[in-house]
Amino acid sequence: MKKITISIICCLLLSTFSYGQINKKRIKLRQVNVIAKRPFKETGVVKTEIDTIILRESITNSIANILSQNTSIFIKSYGRGSLASASFRGTAPSHTQVLWNGLKINSPMLGMVDFSQIPAYFVDDMSLWHGSSSVNVVGGALGGAICLNNIKPEKGTQITLSQGYSSYNTIDDFLKIKIGGDKFSGSTRISYAKSDNDFKYTNYNKKNFPIEKNKNGNFEDIHILQEFYYKLNNGDKLSLAAWVFQTKRGVPMLNVNYNDKDSDNNLQKDQNIRVVSTWKRSKKKLSLESKLGFSTYDSRYTLNKETGNGLKEVLNSHSQVYTGFINFGADYFFSDKFMLSSKIDANYHKVDNYEEYDEVGYKQERPEITAFIAARYKLTNRIRLALNIREDYYDKFTPIIPAFFFEYNIIPKINFLFKSSISKNYHYPTFNDLYFLPGGNPDLKEEEGITYDCGFEFEYKIENNFSFKGEITAYNSNINNWIIWLPTFKGFWEPHNVKKVHSYGLELKGKLYKKMGDLDISLNGNWANTQSINQGNPVNWADKSVGKQLVYIPEYSSSVSGNIQYKGFSLLYKYNYYSERFTTSSNNKKTRIGRITPYYMSDINISKNINTKLFDVNVKLLINNLYDEEYESVLSRPMAGRNYGIFIAIKI
Amino acid sequence: MNKHINTYKYFKNILIIFSLLLFFSCMEYGPRETEEFYFDGKGVFITNEGNFMYGNASLSYYVPDKHVVENEIFVRANGIKLGDVAQSIVIRGDLAYIVVNNSSVIFVVNKYTFKLVGKIDGLTSPRYIHFINDEKAYVTDLYAMAITIINPKTFKKIGMINVNTNKNQHPTEQMVQYKNFVFTNCWSYDDKILVIDSNTDKVVDSIKVGIQPTSLVIDKHNKIWTITDGGYAGSPYGHKAPGLYRIDAETRKVDKEFIFKFGDWPSEVCINKSRDTIYFINRSIWKLSVDEDIFPKEPFIPNNNGDYFYGLAIDPETSEVYMANAIDYVQDGIVYRYSPQGNPLDSIRVGIIPGAFGFK
Repeated sequence: MKKITISIICCLLLSTFSYGQINKKRIKLRQVNVIAKRPFKETGVVKTEIDTIILRESITNSIANILSQNTSIFIKSYGRGSLASASFRGTAPSHTQVLWNGLKINSPMLGMVDFSQIPAYFVDDMSLWHGSSSVNVVGGALGGAICLNNIKPEKGTQITLSQGYSSYNTIDDFLKIKIGGDKFSGSTRISYAKSDNDFKYTNYNKKNFPIEKNKNGNFEDIHILQEFYYKLNNGDKLSLAAWVFQTKRGVPMLNVNYNDKDSDNNLQKDQNIRVVSTWKRSKKKLSLESKLGFSTYDSRYTLNKETGNGLKEVLNSHSQVYTGFINFGADYFFSDKFMLSSKIDANYHKVDNYEEYDEVGYKQERPEITAFIAARYKLTNRIRLALNIREDYYDKFTPIIPAFFFEYNIIPKINFLFKSSISKNYHYPTFNDLYFLPGGNPDLKEEEGITYDCGFEFEYKIENNFSFKGEITAYNSNINNWIIWLPTFKGFWEPHNVKKVHSYGLELKGKLYKKMGDLDISLNGNWANTQSINQGNPVNWADKSVGKQLVYIPEYSSSVSGNIQYKGFSLLYKYNYYSERFTTSSNNKKTRIGRITPYYMSDINISKNINTKLFDVNVKLLINNLYDEEYESVLSRPMAGRNYGIFIAIKI
Repeated sequence: MNKHINTYKYFKNILIIFSLLLFFSCMEYGPRETEEFYFDGKGVFITNEGNFMYGNASLSYYVPDKHVVENEIFVRANGIKLGDVAQSIVIRGDLAYIVVNNSSVIFVVNKYTFKLVGKIDGLTSPRYIHFINDEKAYVTDLYAMAITIINPKTFKKIGMINVNTNKNQHPTEQMVQYKNFVFTNCWSYDDKILVIDSNTDKVVDSIKVGIQPTSLVIDKHNKIWTITDGGYAGSPYGHKAPGLYRIDAETRKVDKEFIFKFGDWPSEVCINKSRDTIYFINRSIWKLSVDEDIFPKEPFIPNNNGDYFYGLAIDPETSEVYMANAIDYVQDGIVYRYSPQGNPLDSIRVGIIPGAFGFK
């Protein structure tokens, strides 16, 4: 499999190389654009910015789709409308920290984020902070951090209405109203999605391979986002963003379930509110920012089963989380060469979890405070350094989190940079790890990571007609006290600080853009080799898991997307690859029941813009799973075959 | 002119990439090949639970005399997966009945060829099967608040016994029979042994024992032995020291009890062929004569390296001891075989979380 991936990469590189050669002549004739300077704040940082075009590609996309198709992050997904968790550089879902307008949205109970619950159309600016770079934005992100932000709308008034109808009776609606003024701006977004999600598939796990329907996979999600922006007379900026959503989802049945009646069903209903208000002051030397926010999370999982007395509810688990949030940050430029940044964030969480039938649950609360200071120094025009110190507190203080960053601009003309960083990081246990009944272990220590990063990047640009960006990063990370839930002789599972994980790998990114008259071509590629190796002590003599890749983490992954635009027509091709993922800690390849073989997925969409004096119309046709692959991406979870969608968007 | 050549070359390159993607775009998924098996003579079936919601349960077959083990025999013989959480197995006549809990199904296979003979579906969360006669068997259930009555010949569901008394769900587990009465222990957040009259298919009595009885057996004196785990600290159902209880099947009264220390977690009570010795796990493997009044001081098979012993069974013919170790629960586990005296004889690698045994 390695060979195929490599051949694709080679082909990519080759094509761009030959193209580069042809263009040498033209370089002499045309003036090379000066490349924008990298922000001082991002000294030595490995960061991936997601283009707005990608975020706006389809109203059906969640951030889970964006991440799997445009970044090196692996998304473990059970299909649309189901849980999608992230693995950044081969780490656990709780090791990816997610900030929405500065508010940490990881579940304090579980530690992770369900990326299927974030519509891509609700995010205006998205960036990934890889490995040690994440300490610039948040602590505890042993894999990396993801920042999702909203941006003040541009001047003018605009109404956008998008509607779509797709396979399996799926309806998608999106409405955005924005008003941009000199002082006051605002925007309202509403998104709605509903689907039966009852695709047919051939069930190779049952005798005679019956054609079955995906059972209990239906979902109904509604999201509302309201933003206000106000500029004071003294230039200070105030803003408020409020995001309210409700999702109702069934957890689909396994394809090895023989409960033919649709009677057995379950429902996960989540209701969330997230509010962040911001005050910002930017002066020449000093910029200040403060945020105040809160979030509430209410989740109820119910399970109905056929009983001796008909259908009855047998499980009803209710979780509520309340979070208050305040922060204050300041950046000060002493000179062109030296700046200081500092920030303090405080969260207070209250968690209440209860299961009605077993009458079991817990109520806990805790503060989480983090303080951060960074000094950045320009040694010469080409060399920049940064030193960060972060300190976290949750019931107790974690040790200091230090980080050091270095960058050297080898060829300033194309921003050919060498970057390197090292950081220590701590991730503290979640509420469930500490308090869940039965099993919660209050004696858990924080997970401890040390990460080294180094890499090169460049950006080559000719006016606005051609650009080529590339980046290669190697990383090495050791995580100790990795928390894992293990069965005990007590008959239930308990979390322990047992695992040692050595994660290392290579990340490659490339972006190519070419404009030829009316024709715009862009290519975007990602490739990653992720080694996430269990280096813990063997459980006993028979343990074959030491030295093996962690469960469900692909060793190789890549994504390529190509876009061609011509006079309002657009064609987008997306390709995604994961190498075989193991479902056993011993990486058993001989099993006939536990293999998730290599994954190749192609999606395509074609659209046409029609501009009239009164409004713009965009009509889009989307084909997912172009080659009608039959597959499982998670064991015993069937996935949809080729499916279609048609979308129409009107902009006034 | 030059520009056109450039454009042409550019497109050619893009085409090459796309065609490469097209070419390699085919996932390995679909029907599985099957194999022919024929094993007569002595053998042991081992069910491997697999991980909950992974659907990776499997069936292993072990020939003790030849030290031979065949893994994943269900999928190899039938081309389909066994399912999600294989809970228990019973061999009766030429057939083996495998209860697959979270797949809501009981598969019936030929015990020599492992070929699927039939399946019993329409179940809720089946745990164990107990045969009353050739045309009637009981299936206990975790969530159904009922025991399902099936016909093991036709593989059809023929009735249900409601066990839902008052508010309690009564998640029924293992079964033993005395005369026409079937006794079943209710484990999860429960403390009862229910008594069912197999003539009328009704719950006729219940016996209170300690918190969470995990398993039960019946000895040669018609005494029923059950072992409780006592719940856990912080459980709303309470936390008591675990215990080993003896119940007189005739009077349905507890007539003997051994109480363990807090922090002990006994489980998996088993009995030998002559029904005069019981075995159970409490970190190590323990052995107790049914006539003994004093609890043994030393374990029968000690657990020296802190392993977690998961499953236990006694060969009803030879009284050899089988112990299952699931290692880290996400890789193929190990089954150890010991002589009746407790000397190690063999160890075999089976499937994920080996739990239950069926002796042929």
